[in-house]
Amino acid sequence: MSTKNILTEQESLNIINEMIQKTKDNYHESGISALLWGTVVTIASLVTYAQYQYNFKLIFDIWLIVFVAIIPQIIITIQEKKNIKVKRHIDPAIDAVWIVFGITIFGLVVYQNIVPNATLNIIKEDGWEMMIHYTNGSKPDKILKPFAPSIASIFILIYALPTMITGLATKFKPMIIGAIISYVLFIFSLYTINKFDMLFCAGAAIVNWLIPGIILQRRYLKKLPCNV
Amino acid sequence: MFKDLDPILHSQLRLAVMSLLIGVKEAEFTFIRESTNSTAGNLSVQIQKLKDVGYIDVNKKFKDNYPLTTCKITRKGIDAFEIYVKNLQEYLKVK
Repeated sequence: MSTKNILTEQESLNIINEMIQKTKDNYHESGISALLWGTVVTIASLVTYAQYQYNFKLIFDIWLIVFVAIIPQIIITIQEKKNIKVKRHIDPAIDAVWIVFGITIFGLVVYQNIVPNATLNIIKEDGWEMMIHYTNGSKPDKILKPFAPSIASIFILIYALPTMITGLATKFKPMIIGAIISYVLFIFSLYTINKFDMLFCAGAAIVNWLIPGIILQRRYLKKLPCNV
Repeated sequence: MFKDLDPILHSQLRLAVMSLLIGVKEAEFTFIRESTNSTAGNLSVQIQKLKDVGYIDVNKKFKDNYPLTTCKITRKGIDAFEIYVKNLQEYLKVK
């Protein structure tokens, strides 16, 4: 491209259009992070479901793989930041949404693990306890340890949040559709027991991250533009 | 009466640089060079001209021991670009 000053108005307009298009076309999201989290959460959910269904227990908590996956995620993020030649205005906002999402999920995991025991201690200090009472008298009453009811529903609801924001902000339909399906799964999960909630959790991970991740990865490999 | 088009922007390469930067927060020098298909020397001169009039900010730093130059459009640059496009549209409407 030269520095010529004798430009016609149409030539000027063509340059503007061409360059704006080039900026859009340059942005390629590999979808690796979405694939990683989609796979990890799907596996953890399905294994948890299998443990309920087939009555077995792994020697470790399968959800620990979520924490292990943070290590490759950090490496992926560092690599991707290194290769980015263009920063969009929207990037810091989208990054912030996903960071806050991570903190919220971590907070919810802490809540899930602390609240039952903390509640048990509080009510013990108050001098009462929760009991399971079978109305038909088929089994004797027994002490109930407090728990957070249908916590998986809350996870599904929160899974949809960053996906919907990213989808709407970047006009990436697979994420918008994935988040909408997640909201539907959230509603279903309100009426089901924890075992089936795990299937909905896996479904949410598939539609929120795995499928959009596969689509992004295919576009990335084909060098197609993806403004996500 | 038509207003004169901004002579700083009414140049092929400088207009291309501004058109690239208008849609992004910031862009690396290499990205601008590849996108505009220009030479490093020529691009440096034009970027300096845009910087001198305050249309863009140029940030030079090192990344992995290599110099890294990034450019971003300023508020003044955005205003100038918008006026340029508005004037351009007026010309094209009449034609």
